[in-house]
Amino acid sequence: MQTGIRHPLRKHLLIGGIIAVFALLAGVWSALQLRERAVHDDELAATRFPVARDISAFTLVDHRSEPFTNASLQGVWSFLFFGYTHCPDVCPTTLSVLNSVAQKLGSDARDVRFVFISVDPERDTPETLARFVSYFNGDFIGVTGEPGAIERLTKQLGVLYMRVASSDNPGSYLMDHTASVFLVDPDGRYHAVFSPPITAEKIVTDFARIRADYL
Amino acid sequence: MDVTGGWVREAPPTSRVLAAYMQIINLTDADLTVTGITSPDFDSAELHRTVVEGGVASMLPVPELIVPAAGSVLLEPGGLHLMLFDPVRPLLQGDSVTLVLHRSDGICITLSVPVLRSRSDEGAQHHH
Repeated sequence: MQTGIRHPLRKHLLIGGIIAVFALLAGVWSALQLRERAVHDDELAATRFPVARDISAFTLVDHRSEPFTNASLQGVWSFLFFGYTHCPDVCPTTLSVLNSVAQKLGSDARDVRFVFISVDPERDTPETLARFVSYFNGDFIGVTGEPGAIERLTKQLGVLYMRVASSDNPGSYLMDHTASVFLVDPDGRYHAVFSPPITAEKIVTDFARIRADYL
Repeated sequence: MDVTGGWVREAPPTSRVLAAYMQIINLTDADLTVTGITSPDFDSAELHRTVVEGGVASMLPVPELIVPAAGSVLLEPGGLHLMLFDPVRPLLQGDSVTLVLHRSDGICITLSVPVLRSRSDEGAQHHH
């Protein structure tokens, strides 16, 4: 009498139990996958995004006065750094380090570009940028443009910048600016970011792994 | 007070502001204070510290620099540095620059530092 009622219940419990066990195993499996990826990422000094972020259209101009747009980021790895040519410490130091990276990569840098984007378009014309970036490396690209256009790109990457009046020199100004180096992949997506302090070793080591993991 | 490892970073042709770095060592048993910097090779000079917070680099003017007794202070890329405004003549690697550190006790330290394109240890790990 009671067995007739208990049988369906026990079967449901059994099925429910099997499903629960599978769910638990699946949860543990994906947790292990994520943990493995987290451990994997812990080995990087850079911050790499689990999903690379699209960069929407922007139109700027390079140091040869050629257009530099989101299309320009396709097909190559791009290291982006934002600064200004009147910067005495951080920008020359970082570009010097990036030149070091370019040297260390050697022939591995064939599909890699280094782009210096000005957050001081009032003073940084294409001609100014050409003299500035070529000083560090003849292959480096300098980019400037309309202030609104620059902002369209910086907002997407979370880049901050602002003018600071120089105490001793009225009329001239310095700038505070984000000093990270941004990595864009050959799909033109924001892939990873290197936070200061920027060193050539960190970038070369991390980039090798990021590139190997790509695709 | 001793100064070692001084160098001025050669600037790209576009910049009128150069940075200088060095290590200042206090050999005495009392704190020493640097209150200003001048140079015959520049219109003006200031001491600044690069501070990176939330990924954003700022340069903060440092009105005076205390070098602790029997201690030292390091000026290096990304940290403390001298900002040298408006060179009186173009400066290239191989040139020398005269810097004068003014102390609160009235003593001035004059040094000659080389202009270098970069340091060979740049891009390597710094200890802070």
